[in-house]
Amino acid sequence: MDPTQATREVFWNIEYTWLVYVLMVPTLAVFGWGFWLKIRRWRAGQPEVRFDRLGERMQLFLKNAVGQGRTIKRRYAGIFHTLVYTGFIVLFLATTVVAIHHDTPLHIMKGHFYLIFQSLTVDIFGLFVMVGVALAAIRRWISKPKLLVYTDEASWILVTIFVMALTGFMIEGWRIAVTDDPWAAWSPIGNLFALASDPLMSDAAMQTGHVAIWWFHLVVAFGWIAWVPFSKMSHVFTAPLNIFTANLDGYGGSLKTIDFETAERFGINHLGDFTWKDLLDFDACTECGRCTDVCPANTVGKSLSPRDIILDLQALMHKRGDTVLVSGNGDNGNGSGEVELLPIIDQKTAVSPEALFACTTCAACMEACPVHIEQMPKIVDARRYLVMEEADFPEGMMDMMNSLESRQHPFAGTQFSRVDWTEGLDIDVMAEMDDPHEAEVLMWVGCGGALVERNRNTVRATAKLLQKAGVKFAILGREESCTGDPARRVGNEFLFEMLAKGNVETMQRYGVRKVVTSCPHCFNSFRNEYPQFGGSYEVYHHSQFLDQLLESGRLDGNGAAVSSNGSSTITFHDPCYLGRHNGEYDAPRNLLAKLGDARQVEMERSRNTSFCCGGGGGMAFVDEPPDQRVNQERAQEAVDTGADVVAVGCPFCATMLDDGVNARRGDRDVKVKDVAELLWDAVGEPGQAAP
Amino acid sequence: MKLLVCLKQILDPDVPARDFQIDPAAKAARRGGANLVTNIFCENAVETALQFREAATAEVKITALCYGESSAEDCLRKAMAMTVDEACLVERDGNTNPDAAAVGRVLAAAIRRLEQDGGPFDAVLVGRESGDWGVGQTGGLLAEELGRPALGFVESLQPGNGGVTLRRQTDVGIEVAEAEPPFLVTITNNEDNVPRIPKTRDVMMSYRKPLQKLSLADLELDSEEIRTGSSIFEVEEIFIPADEVECELAEGDTLEERVDQLAKRIHQVVASIG
Amino acid sequence: MANVAVCVLGSLGYDRAAQGAAGAGRALAESVGGELHALVIGPASDNAVAALAAVADRVVIGANEALGDYQPEQALQAAQQLHAAGGGDYVAVLLSNDTYSQEIAPRLAHRLGGSSMADAAAIRADGDHLLAQRTAYGGKAISIYRLKKQPAVVWLRARGFEPAPEQGAPGDVTTVDLALDPPRIRITGREVAAQEGVRLEDAPVIVSGGRGLGGPEPFQELKKLANAIGAEQGASRAACDAGWVPPNWQVGYLCHQVAPELYIAIAISGASQHLLGMGDSKVVAAINTDADAPIFKHCSFGIVEDYKQVVPLLTEKLQSMAG
Ligand SMILES: Cc1cc2nc3c(=O)[nH]c(=O)nc-3n(C[C@H](O)[C@H](O)[C@H](O)COP(=O)(O)OP(=O)(O)OC[C@H]3O[C@@H](n4cnc5c(N)ncnc54)[C@H](O)[C@@H]3O)c2cc1C
Ligand code: SF4
Ligand code: SF4
Repeated sequence: MDPTQATREVFWNIEYTWLVYVLMVPTLAVFGWGFWLKIRRWRAGQPEVRFDRLGERMQLFLKNAVGQGRTIKRRYAGIFHTLVYTGFIVLFLATTVVAIHHDTPLHIMKGHFYLIFQSLTVDIFGLFVMVGVALAAIRRWISKPKLLVYTDEASWILVTIFVMALTGFMIEGWRIAVTDDPWAAWSPIGNLFALASDPLMSDAAMQTGHVAIWWFHLVVAFGWIAWVPFSKMSHVFTAPLNIFTANLDGYGGSLKTIDFETAERFGINHLGDFTWKDLLDFDACTECGRCTDVCPANTVGKSLSPRDIILDLQALMHKRGDTVLVSGNGDNGNGSGEVELLPIIDQKTAVSPEALFACTTCAACMEACPVHIEQMPKIVDARRYLVMEEADFPEGMMDMMNSLESRQHPFAGTQFSRVDWTEGLDIDVMAEMDDPHEAEVLMWVGCGGALVERNRNTVRATAKLLQKAGVKFAILGREESCTGDPARRVGNEFLFEMLAKGNVETMQRYGVRKVVTSCPHCFNSFRNEYPQFGGSYEVYHHSQFLDQLLESGRLDGNGAAVSSNGSSTITFHDPCYLGRHNGEYDAPRNLLAKLGDARQVEMERSRNTSFCCGGGGGMAFVDEPPDQRVNQERAQEAVDTGADVVAVGCPFCATMLDDGVNARRGDRDVKVKDVAELLWDAVGEPGQAAP
Repeated sequence: MKLLVCLKQILDPDVPARDFQIDPAAKAARRGGANLVTNIFCENAVETALQFREAATAEVKITALCYGESSAEDCLRKAMAMTVDEACLVERDGNTNPDAAAVGRVLAAAIRRLEQDGGPFDAVLVGRESGDWGVGQTGGLLAEELGRPALGFVESLQPGNGGVTLRRQTDVGIEVAEAEPPFLVTITNNEDNVPRIPKTRDVMMSYRKPLQKLSLADLELDSEEIRTGSSIFEVEEIFIPADEVECELAEGDTLEERVDQLAKRIHQVVASIG
Repeated sequence: MANVAVCVLGSLGYDRAAQGAAGAGRALAESVGGELHALVIGPASDNAVAALAAVADRVVIGANEALGDYQPEQALQAAQQLHAAGGGDYVAVLLSNDTYSQEIAPRLAHRLGGSSMADAAAIRADGDHLLAQRTAYGGKAISIYRLKKQPAVVWLRARGFEPAPEQGAPGDVTTVDLALDPPRIRITGREVAAQEGVRLEDAPVIVSGGRGLGGPEPFQELKKLANAIGAEQGASRAACDAGWVPPNWQVGYLCHQVAPELYIAIAISGASQHLLGMGDSKVVAAINTDADAPIFKHCSFGIVEDYKQVVPLLTEKLQSMAG
């Protein structure tokens, strides 16, 4: 036997092979039609540039589509998905090989290639598919985790894939048995079938069975292919496309501006007002549920579920999409008259106002999504509609916005002015300086720092550290206004724009180039959002700036301990707008590492999978029901680490966690402290403790 | 039906106590870094009027009127953003702190003038008092200037049979009244007339709504006479009461002594309230 | 001769507020060398009339059937006619601080060609003028007004004034018949029972409890304390959340924003959101075991002690002080 001659007969035992080609035509037609419908729907969306920066896109594509970078982050699902995914690729290649071999003059299916790839590898990967599907089935039918969506469709997908793989092995096995294939050993699974069937069935029976199962296999496979665009299996194509066209700029800059002069509607309540990429997002969802699983609001029992928002919008789009294009201006696409615009915000669906206003804009969902769907910006888009078109929002947010409008800060009723915290600290105020350009950095204090009792310590500590390091800095004092972050997150883009423009103007007047701030929300606005309004600065979170000062030796943190007994255990809570939104996880940790002998422990959910304090997205201004508090969930996790100091880097985290930790710490002494406070405690001269 | 709501622009009452200063020459609070806002009871009045319009079957037109500096335009725009139909500003020309009688006379003249042009107002709504001086006399004085019956501390207006049904808060509870237009009410707050936040579209539209500006001369009023001749009161003196910032902790050797101290302090404050 | 009038609503009788108004009137009358007249709108009980006669030099009762039921237009008309019936020669017409008096005061002033003023905590004559002292800017300042026209029609923070002393001989009482027009605004119904207690926002004294109380029972202790000083009860969110007291007791940024004359915080740490809700209180007192609790930075006086020790003793002492 010459292995170089090894091959097999295509269409062994099959007559009417022309029927295969005849059946293929409608199959591909339906398949194409299905995707054409999808594409047509997407194209009805608003324009958005997502085919730029091709190099970066390719990289992301290779990493997270081809390389399944995010999918494999969950162990169990990662394993079975990889088995099925790689299996499919190999089987698809194998089918292509057959086609080339049979329908072109290139008879490539022979020899070692035939044995090693077409026989052995394909068998193994076929087995992978079956094992993968079985694992998935165990999860879906037996362990039943909450994150899945339990549809018949999903079950049928598993069944059909399993059936296809199984029947594939059956026909391979019977072919081997009947033809006494000399290369049987190279197809171990098929061979197993052959060996099992041999004593039980006559050749004739196998031959008949083979024909029947062969056609059955073909019909299932073709039917399945035609079904792909209409089921969640379409993710096989939409997901890679979605990853390729993902937002490359980080979550911190993912909100769009609105042109108030020309916009027909502010915010989104109709599918047609979404961009094509948003519509593609809806079709790319794999129903994996990871977004909802990590969503803090969902975790504490609120009705918000980013997965269901995406899926309900997908359903809405499909409902309207089959014959009628979704079009923002009420046109049905054929020019044949008005269609009713269905609202996307609907009390009866996952896109209810109540759910929308539970979002902390933490972006955990976006980070978890294996296919880079952008849930949070859509939530904000819908909030915009509610806030700006309907003036419909929770009460606490109303006071906050009223205050922002008339006082340029969100803390109605504060007893402090913006400069009270500077008492006794000789700090330059831009407006009072002979030459404001002398200040190398602007220390942006932030409303949460200046106006909330608890955080005044943080800004004092930051200022004193800057002074100690000899940094020439100044503040804007009373000229500082809220950056507008809370307004933007709750959906009041109009108010945000007003505040942003005002601040950009003020900073322009003083020629500000470099900004350091202890508020990650301000940090994010300056870094990612102010450039949209003509304000570009070199922006530092105070942890970054202080870390640099330590690195460069301008500050000396060594030898000092965090607490008087010198044996603190610290756990750091990543602020969403510093971590996930802007990718800074290390600076605050570096800084803590330099605090003498304090020991750092990590919470289970940390860094990019950190769990929100509950204060983002305007939620710090809303009274949550006592049994649905995000901050307590997080505080519990912090307390459970055994740490006696919960370090924070955000004034909102500080107040949220203070409240949470006090509720959950029991008799233990656990303190919430900003990294700057801790650093000052460590390096401040005796008698200079921040009061 | 036509409603008229009077608005006052005031110094932000939420200015932190530490920032609050008196200008001895002007005998008034110093503006400092504080903002100017619409008096909250006036906003409650706007909201009450809007809710009346929403409840009414007949067409209701709402006008906002302010006697103030040119900066008070903001208040009127905000009222229009809340969907008041039109607004009128009577410019104050330097009379920085007119007394309630002066304000009443000017508003009455302006109302008569607006009525000449556009027909009578069925109801005039005025905030019960302002968040700055808080004297609370303007509504009553204006009612007299206009010769209208009036009711104070009203929290809602509802279309009634023939007239308007009013609900109001008194120290003995809620009272319901029937009023035949024309009349005047002063408005107080309750949980239902919290001023709405305007829709953004309405904010933008408010700049396209008519805002009429009148001077005292347009109203045939003599500003000097208004300032001094008809004035009924003026500020003689204003000062910030000495506040105790330091917390005095009860001291003493025994618990008995310390609690006794505390009791005396509490009693002192309670007794002074009367 | 210049006299002083105190104008009372017959239906309200000679209550503590009317006593205070009369007291202020008597002091003013003495300083201007005139008489104190009581102008009574509508029928009053015999006791009330006798009590008024005991402190005033003259009592004029305006009679009309319609006045049994308060209607602002008619009460105003009545006051105007009583003013004339009493002689009309008054430097001041003083009223107390019930809603009805507050509402008619400025309009009466206008009808009489006088000055008006509200919520005066002190008054005194200065030549032809009256000076009235009151708070301004939401309690941040105190202002003294010069009332330039006579009569000065002023409603007073009446309970803050000493009751009028009884005179040697009772003043003479006359009843005049008044002619009243039918009112164009007619009060048709009263829901007196609708309100339970005072709204927290309006309460002059509030006793609040926090998480440090440790359970619902101690709020009963606090209730005794509150009763002793006529206070309403509030709580921090932590206490409301724990279900110890109803959620509408919550003082703070998100719930009741209060500004009482006296706020007593017991076992409340003084978290920022709580402070935002009670920071406008005139006087704050705290009872807390932790001397470093932020609340102490915001109060005038306090005690670092376990509330369990303090509250019962304090209640007892305050009860005895109240007599
Ligand atoms: C978005 C948001 C909004 C909020 N809004 C509000 C709000 O509107 N109102 C509000 O009140 N809170 C609000 N909070 C909660 C606030 O942050 C605090 O958690 C809460 O006010 C704490 O209540 P507390 O002072 O009773 O409890 P703690 O802070 O736990 O204080 C208890 C105090 O009791 C003292 N104590 C303990 N035992 C004794 C004893 N035996 N005798 C005397 N003293 C004792 C302790 O020293 C301590 O100071 C809000 C929080 C968030 C996150
Ligand atoms: S941004 Fe955060 S809170 Fe909002 S839906 Fe996503 S995970 Fe949930
Ligand atoms: S949106 Fe993304 S994370 Fe959420 S269910 Fe769909 S695919 Fe999964």
